[in-house]
Amino acid sequence: MLPNKRSGLGVAHIDSIKQVSDVSWEIPTTYKQGMLVPAKIYATRKLLDAMDSGVIEQVTNVACLPGIVRQSYAMADAHWGYGFPIGGVAAFDLEKGVISPGGIGFDINCGMRLIRTNLRFSEVKPKVKELVDLIFRLVPAGVGVKGFLRVSDSQFDEIMKYGVKWCAENGQAWEDDPSHVEEGGFIKGADPSKVSRQARSRGIQQLGTLGSGNHYLEIQVVDQSRFFDKDLAKHFGITDPEQVVVMVHCGSRGFGHQIGSDYLRIFDGAMRKYGLSVRDRELACAPFSSKEGKDYYGAMVCAANMAFTNRQIIVQQVRDAFSKVFHRDAEAMDMHLIYDVCHNVAKVERHSYDGKSADLLVHRKGATRSFGPGHPDIPAPYRDIGQPVIIGGSMETGSYLLLGTQKAMEDTFGSTAHGSGRTMSRTAAKREVRGAELQRKMQERGIYVKAATMDGLAEEAGMAYKDISEVVDTMDRAGISKKVVALRPVGNIKG
Amino acid sequence: MTYKFLPDVALADIAFEAESNTVNGLFESCAMALTDIMVDQKTLRGRMTKEISLKSDALDRLLYDFLTELIVMKDVESLLFSEFHVEVSGAGSELAAVAKGEPIDRVRHALRNDVKAVTMHMFGVWEERGKWKATVVVDI
Repeated sequence: MLPNKRSGLGVAHIDSIKQVSDVSWEIPTTYKQGMLVPAKIYATRKLLDAMDSGVIEQVTNVACLPGIVRQSYAMADAHWGYGFPIGGVAAFDLEKGVISPGGIGFDINCGMRLIRTNLRFSEVKPKVKELVDLIFRLVPAGVGVKGFLRVSDSQFDEIMKYGVKWCAENGQAWEDDPSHVEEGGFIKGADPSKVSRQARSRGIQQLGTLGSGNHYLEIQVVDQSRFFDKDLAKHFGITDPEQVVVMVHCGSRGFGHQIGSDYLRIFDGAMRKYGLSVRDRELACAPFSSKEGKDYYGAMVCAANMAFTNRQIIVQQVRDAFSKVFHRDAEAMDMHLIYDVCHNVAKVERHSYDGKSADLLVHRKGATRSFGPGHPDIPAPYRDIGQPVIIGGSMETGSYLLLGTQKAMEDTFGSTAHGSGRTMSRTAAKREVRGAELQRKMQERGIYVKAATMDGLAEEAGMAYKDISEVVDTMDRAGISKKVVALRPVGNIKG
Repeated sequence: MTYKFLPDVALADIAFEAESNTVNGLFESCAMALTDIMVDQKTLRGRMTKEISLKSDALDRLLYDFLTELIVMKDVESLLFSEFHVEVSGAGSELAAVAKGEPIDRVRHALRNDVKAVTMHMFGVWEERGKWKATVVVDI
């Protein structure tokens, strides 16, 4: 059977799966030879039954990797990915554990960014088409696109090392932007000397581009019917049930993909050297303490910092577009960054588990950091309430803003889901709906869409994804993130 | 020289299987399939010629590197190709290819998906009853 064929898991098919709560399940180490830790799946019974069988195979494969700590996790949006499931979280001991490109994803630091405005929807509604059309021109999307920002090789080195901090020092960010990005806008430990010539040449021209696939840029409005916690939303500057915000979903473009490809090849050889064997070629890994492991980490951080920069440049373009359309400064429209989260990355983080505290390498692939209140890595304005968690839905269904929790710190190394998760292949989605028809239907529902290609639009139709509300409710009920507000799309740019 | 897409292999991405009577033909089929994912080939013209030379330690890695090179040229030089002539030598360790195509034209070309990487999932090259075959899954 093909690994991601939608067979529907059917809990009965796995005798050893144990229900831990109404939204979590555990597969013990006896399920598969070589499992070092149990696997834990967050899902309602309905989501679990619909989950593709590849998730079970992959979350238990990850549980076999050397140095894994406590549990291998699949979040409620989990679906089959390369090596690790998308929606997968795994933490590794720094000495005995491994680093795996398959645990991060090809699109290193793919992530979500949300900015607010002080505009009401009634004011924006007549301008949505003009805004979307202008942003579509300012933020290139589609096959082989290049960005408007030209940087030298030495500037690109700085971007790889300092991400949004570089932007702030070079007129590409507002003063408070870096502090509203995960890790302050750059992860420490970047090593540009570990990035190949090919990766560099792909990345240097792609700053400020949206890309394609499931990436998008969306003008959204607070969903009045799902405004869960008005007091908490105030901390984000969201106070009005008609307030307009802008969400960006993209990553490190071809740069991160090339680093992923380069190191998949290197790790394929390194595994023999270190006597490692894995169940799937896409699970290629190397000891984190080895030369190959350190080299990949140094290159991966470069891509993560490039992705932060990419989203930053895009937001600058969005601020410009709003200024042009509304004839006002972006500052006057309060277009501040609410937050920017990674959902494809591995980072060294300190966690307490099993009665001890240790630095661990936490892989999150299609999973979001969800640090709880009081954590020192959360920017000051949010420290008392928890880290903002941005969960993107499909083009049609809307997205959510949540908060990290203490329970996530205790249960999942401070992690939660990232989106809705695909359930239908691109080919199948195109069979079901034509791009032009979908565009018309969305317009009838008040969502103006502009896409680089009509095929690409059809492939991202809402029916190709899980129900995001069910995913978000699961994570909220599990206590590993807390719902604050839902955001519904009114304008969408599809890469 | 032929290829077909495998719709049920990768939910978020695109998979294909290619076959040919020769290794050279197989590489050409894979390159054509890759192009087909990104653009309607009928809208491309072979106005420019590029030469590609690669060395690798195994035939499957050589194919991986060849397809990756085409993806890199799409991003770095904005080139898409509609014709390929490939010669593999040195017991599958060396490749010399000539590709004909042109720079991306967003008006004239019917563009499709942006391929970002070749994955190792199900990746393989093999000979079966006198035919050379390959399975490739690309990341979108």
